Amino acid sequence: MERPATGVTYQRFPRVKIRELKDDYAKFELRDTCASMANALRRVMIAEVPTVAIDLVEIESNSSVLNDEFIAHRLGLIPLTSSAAMGMRFSRDCDACDGDGSCEHCSVEFHLAARATDSGQTLEVTSTKDLRSTDPKVCPVDQAREYQQALGNIDPYDGDPQGDHRGILIVKLRRGQELRLRAIARKGIGKDHAKWSPAATVTFMYEPDIRINEELMETLTLEEKTSWVESSPTKVFDIDPNTQQVVVSDPEAYTYDDEVIKKAEAMGKPGLIEINAKEDSFVFTVETTGALTAYELIMNAITVLRQKLDAVRLQDDDADLGELGAHL
Amino acid sequence: MPTAPEKSPAAAAAADYATLRELYRPHIESFDYFLDEGLDKMLLSIRPMEITDPSSNATLRNILRASLNFLFRSCSSKLCHLRGADSRKLIYHGEEATEMGGYFISGGMERLIRILIIQKRNYPMSMVRSSFVKRGEGYTDKAVVIRCVHLDQSSSVTVKLYYLQNGSARLGFWFGGREVLLPVGIVLKALVDTSDWEIGASLTCCYSDKHGNGKGVVGTELIGERTQIILDEVRALSLITRKQCLVHIGKYFRSVMDGFEKDDYETVAEAVIKDYILVHLQNDNHAKFNLLIFMLQKLYALVDQTASPDNPDALQFQEALLPGYLITVFLKDRIQDWMRKSKRVILEELTKNKSFELSNSMEIRKILSKHTTFVGRAIESLIKVGRANSQSMLDLPQRDGMTIQAERLNFHRYISHFRSVHRGAAFAKMRTTTVRKLLPESWGFLCPVHTPDGEPCGLLNHMTSTCRVSSCYNSEGAIKDFQKIKDKLLSELVRGGMTPLLPKIEHAGPPEILHVHLDGCIVGSIASAKIDEIVNYLRRLKLLSHPATPEDLEVGYVPLSLGGAYPGLYLFTSPARFVRPVKNLVSLPGGEPSIELIGPFEQAFMEIKCPDGGNGGRGTLFPATHEEIHPTAILSVVANLTPWSDHNQSPRNMYQCQMAKQTMGFSGQALKFRTDVKAFHLQTPQTPIVRTATYKKYHMDEFPSGTNAIVAVLSYTGYDMEDAMILNKSAVDRGMFRGDIYQTECIDLSSKRRENVPEVFAKSRLSRDTSDVIDSDGLPRVGEAVVPNEQYYSVYNTLTGAIRPVRLKGTEPATIDYVAVNGANSKGFLEKVNIRLRRKRNPIIGDKFSSRHGQKGVCSQLWPDIDMPFSEHTGMRPDLIINPHAFPSRMTIAMLIESIAAKAGSLHGKFIDATPFASSVKKEGENSSKYDSIVDELGPMLASYGFNYHGVEVLYSGLFGTYMNCEIFIGPVYYQRLRHMVSDKFQVRTTGRVDQVTRQPIGGRKHGGGIRFGEMERDALLAHGASYLLHDRLHTCSDYHIADVCSLCGSLLTATVIKSETQKKSKRNMLGVNTLKPPKNFACQACQTNKGMETVAMPYVFRYLAAELAAMNIKLDLRLSNRRESPPGNES
Repeated sequence: MERPATGVTYQRFPRVKIRELKDDYAKFELRDTCASMANALRRVMIAEVPTVAIDLVEIESNSSVLNDEFIAHRLGLIPLTSSAAMGMRFSRDCDACDGDGSCEHCSVEFHLAARATDSGQTLEVTSTKDLRSTDPKVCPVDQAREYQQALGNIDPYDGDPQGDHRGILIVKLRRGQELRLRAIARKGIGKDHAKWSPAATVTFMYEPDIRINEELMETLTLEEKTSWVESSPTKVFDIDPNTQQVVVSDPEAYTYDDEVIKKAEAMGKPGLIEINAKEDSFVFTVETTGALTAYELIMNAITVLRQKLDAVRLQDDDADLGELGAHL
Repeated sequence: MPTAPEKSPAAAAAADYATLRELYRPHIESFDYFLDEGLDKMLLSIRPMEITDPSSNATLRNILRASLNFLFRSCSSKLCHLRGADSRKLIYHGEEATEMGGYFISGGMERLIRILIIQKRNYPMSMVRSSFVKRGEGYTDKAVVIRCVHLDQSSSVTVKLYYLQNGSARLGFWFGGREVLLPVGIVLKALVDTSDWEIGASLTCCYSDKHGNGKGVVGTELIGERTQIILDEVRALSLITRKQCLVHIGKYFRSVMDGFEKDDYETVAEAVIKDYILVHLQNDNHAKFNLLIFMLQKLYALVDQTASPDNPDALQFQEALLPGYLITVFLKDRIQDWMRKSKRVILEELTKNKSFELSNSMEIRKILSKHTTFVGRAIESLIKVGRANSQSMLDLPQRDGMTIQAERLNFHRYISHFRSVHRGAAFAKMRTTTVRKLLPESWGFLCPVHTPDGEPCGLLNHMTSTCRVSSCYNSEGAIKDFQKIKDKLLSELVRGGMTPLLPKIEHAGPPEILHVHLDGCIVGSIASAKIDEIVNYLRRLKLLSHPATPEDLEVGYVPLSLGGAYPGLYLFTSPARFVRPVKNLVSLPGGEPSIELIGPFEQAFMEIKCPDGGNGGRGTLFPATHEEIHPTAILSVVANLTPWSDHNQSPRNMYQCQMAKQTMGFSGQALKFRTDVKAFHLQTPQTPIVRTATYKKYHMDEFPSGTNAIVAVLSYTGYDMEDAMILNKSAVDRGMFRGDIYQTECIDLSSKRRENVPEVFAKSRLSRDTSDVIDSDGLPRVGEAVVPNEQYYSVYNTLTGAIRPVRLKGTEPATIDYVAVNGANSKGFLEKVNIRLRRKRNPIIGDKFSSRHGQKGVCSQLWPDIDMPFSEHTGMRPDLIINPHAFPSRMTIAMLIESIAAKAGSLHGKFIDATPFASSVKKEGENSSKYDSIVDELGPMLASYGFNYHGVEVLYSGLFGTYMNCEIFIGPVYYQRLRHMVSDKFQVRTTGRVDQVTRQPIGGRKHGGGIRFGEMERDALLAHGASYLLHDRLHTCSDYHIADVCSLCGSLLTATVIKSETQKKSKRNMLGVNTLKPPKNFACQACQTNKGMETVAMPYVFRYLAAELAAMNIKLDLRLSNRRESPPGNES
């Protein structure tokens, strides 16, 4: 690979414009950069932003219907509040404890003890009620939310007030059954196991550049216009009720499905519309599992990405990658 | 087509699974009948045995006191303690809520008796078979065969009426292991007091010269001559009266019939007639005479080609061999055998022991008690190994393979066992494939889709979901009184216009008059003009559930035809016939749905239309009288579960039927209480979004077997070529397709006790290690993980006091899931335990998955989430990627529709009905389907949520972040994980054990062997000229050996170690001299010198060959040379 001559710079200054920001949802624009940059950000958000998740389970007693591995797996998938994860150590790098869970730098201990009494009622063991953390910073996300609610800072974005607030069901116990265990949560990244991924969905799209050939459009009757507008499965176009002109109502609803272009061709009006993707602007949609807030996720992702780039840059000088080896 | 809202699970559990129970009925009811009535009747039908003391002339009669102790029970039979238990009680007892029984428990295994297809009982069938010629000189290939079954179902005898070249006929039946052939004239005369004229008149009545060759004429003018020949044959033996004929028969049989040594010839002949000739008519000799006349007429019609032969492979002339019946027959045979043996034992005792008297019942009981278990053991072995051991064939089609194990791999497989019918093991070896052919006669009874491909194809069929088997129980659950039904039916027939026959056959025949057969007995005749009327009358009675007509009455009306099937009205009320419900188009007064049960015999002559509203191309001449209830009635339970199977290429549906049975699903909910040898269990199964009506009907949600995976159809990275599929690693991390294998080890220390030394489970007292897997009782702790080669239980030898720890076999770690102690021995020590091990089986590369459309594939990569393509609209990443090349040649269109439908269904939060042939059913009060195709119905559902009408989406590459130019077809498809997993199959070896004799690596995965580099592989390397690799594979990596060869005598075997050399060596060793390996320490024993010794590299087997040859006095001579040019270097 040829390097650019010294002095020539391809540096760009991407701009971010946040459109919407909720606790677990964000929508923002990323401009003046290329697809590789946008995709790198997406990949890092999904797979490399560290969180905390239960990684080791010691079962003392389990007489439930689910086997030990199944319960351990279910525990692992419970999202834990991980705002502190960036500051924690990976267990494998932790010198203090060799990762056996006895040190607060790399791990958090959880306890669970539930026993269905002889009442005959099925006992639901949930993340909210039964999983006890030894560190208030790291706890199941629904517990954290309940705590916030109790404090009075009711999450304004928690949309669904009638929703199910029982927490995450771990196992159901019948009369006489018991579950007792000790679990250790550790820091990790989504690349290793999906349980450490803080992102539920991260997706981006190219901003479309839609140009209607107005002259050609005028040759259409209102009916033709309507049928053309309705050929798009998403509501991208609209007809102005006053002027009866076709207008682009929501360009971002366009899914690059070419339906309208095909329709125009089928109507014998090729070139009625021209749609191009803007190569340098992206619209991101981020949803988190609750382990991190959307804001934290984005910021942490940028931090991680920057660290990775630093590592590449440092590689030129010397091979020492420092703590970044973990991310490569 | 959204389905109605689902019932809550609790409500579903409350339902008593009546639809499921229906599927098991043939198995349970036939066995119930055996217990209720069959057993008693069978015992009564056994002829009492008489033993006479030769010295005192005292006789002992009837030594049979039925004291049979059954070592078995059929689950859910009337003996079963769970009979009639509701699901709540079953769960309480640790059983499945859907447990329906129908199997026997033997040695901890659940085994069921396989339903076999056999010839229809009590129906004379005309057959053409080349093997008949071999019966003797003058025999032809034509015969009329009737399989007669006793009314009490305790035995059956097949009687064949062979046609001879001279125009006569022979009656053949199997007697004591060989076929007895009697001239038919003798039998006719022996049956009733009759005259030659009467026989002649009865036989010739089917011919009348006024009809010529018109429709329905079966007789020809040849019949007169043939009658003469038959009668002449008898006369030639100077047999005139009935008595003479009986004596003639009796003479022949007295020596071979048991228990008739002292009777006169007539009694013997009467017994033969009762027990072997047309046994279903019991003692009614007139009926036997009439039937025999009819059979002769049918035989001659076959010979003269006025009636066509009946196809023995068609279901029309077949019925089922049911478990209860098999047990009755076999048990009767065993009891009779036991009686014969007992008699012999008593007679022996009489001759040996003078003080022994027949009046001493205590003594007799003592003698007999020595082999009381004889009968019980035979029945047990029938169930355990499926072997019906008997001297005679019992008129059964096979002896082995009567039972199969009811595997609970998943519910599809389990239910299939109970619905399967086998054509018989004899046909599996046959080279002709005609028996395997799918014939139109089996329409609606046997599923055309659900048969395995390969060896048992077409022989192992499955009953359709609506197919039933007629039983001895009526719909109220009471045992049918066949005699009463017969009487009532006869009076109804007479009312309908039948002329009853008293007692002689009417002297007329087709085409004016048709005979009426009721269960193989000619009961009368009807003018053929009136027959349509009476058939309709009977069907009407059936619909009105008249007591004369049981609901499964078969009204087999064979109409007059030109050279077709032999006409007549054949009525059947017997059990073990296949029946199925169809709609009768006759409107009943009450307006009730007129569902009629029809059998395969009558179906062939009925007009049944498809419920699509059309008439199926019928003209006005043959209007449809019946209508199918739903087209899916032709499919089995498993085939019915394939969504939209009418849109798939047909072999794909067959593949799905097989793969559904290999799916790793929920094998059972009572897994915790079961000790199956191997059980597969899927951890996180789902209910399919797209399902057929059958899914709910048979409560398949109790046993889900797959996952709704988001499937993208695209060629991505090349890792999905050739039916490979890419799984999303993150989806697997989150639990998709995770599962376990449960294996139960039954350790019985008493069974493999060595030298009578009792062993018990115990732990060494010396070991104080509490972290050990083995608990203080010598058994493993539940929940403990065990790695291969780790000790997991220990055994204490009570004699030597040695502790023998047992290590875990295999290469896979396991978890102790459950330990069950099966009682203790007399001293209170543990001797028998079941240890259930659990092995984790998460999806890995090489595991097999399949959709419900015969599209199987192997996981080739577990790709992380970030690398999977994603949808910009929803951000979804597929769980699974398959290659688009999977579709064009396989044409599994239903899979594509399923993807669209499941997507639409999940968007709308509804299950989608995918019942096949739904568009072929005309719905009442609804103008024919609103849409032309399913896609036109589903497309708008997708579009209403902003998705593409055709189910495609724009996906972005996960690697580059750019969108793909082609729209990708993506949506949820129900995927099954199949039980074939690499963990059970991979084979790898670098070094390891070698064969003792050849020193070549051993084979076999279990022993750590290699995969054979065989002849074909060798050929491939030769063709490539890869000689070095070939040498490496076949020699260096195999049995490389350096042999010492004497170049003087050329012997490979004479090399011996020189003693003196070694002595010198040891001396030098002692002196501390540096030991260099002496160059030649071998000498040829034959030449007595070491001069010519050379070392040659060769395969060790070659040396072995030399040794073997030497043992045969053949010397193998090696000529060694260093010359390069001599073509092969070292050659013998």
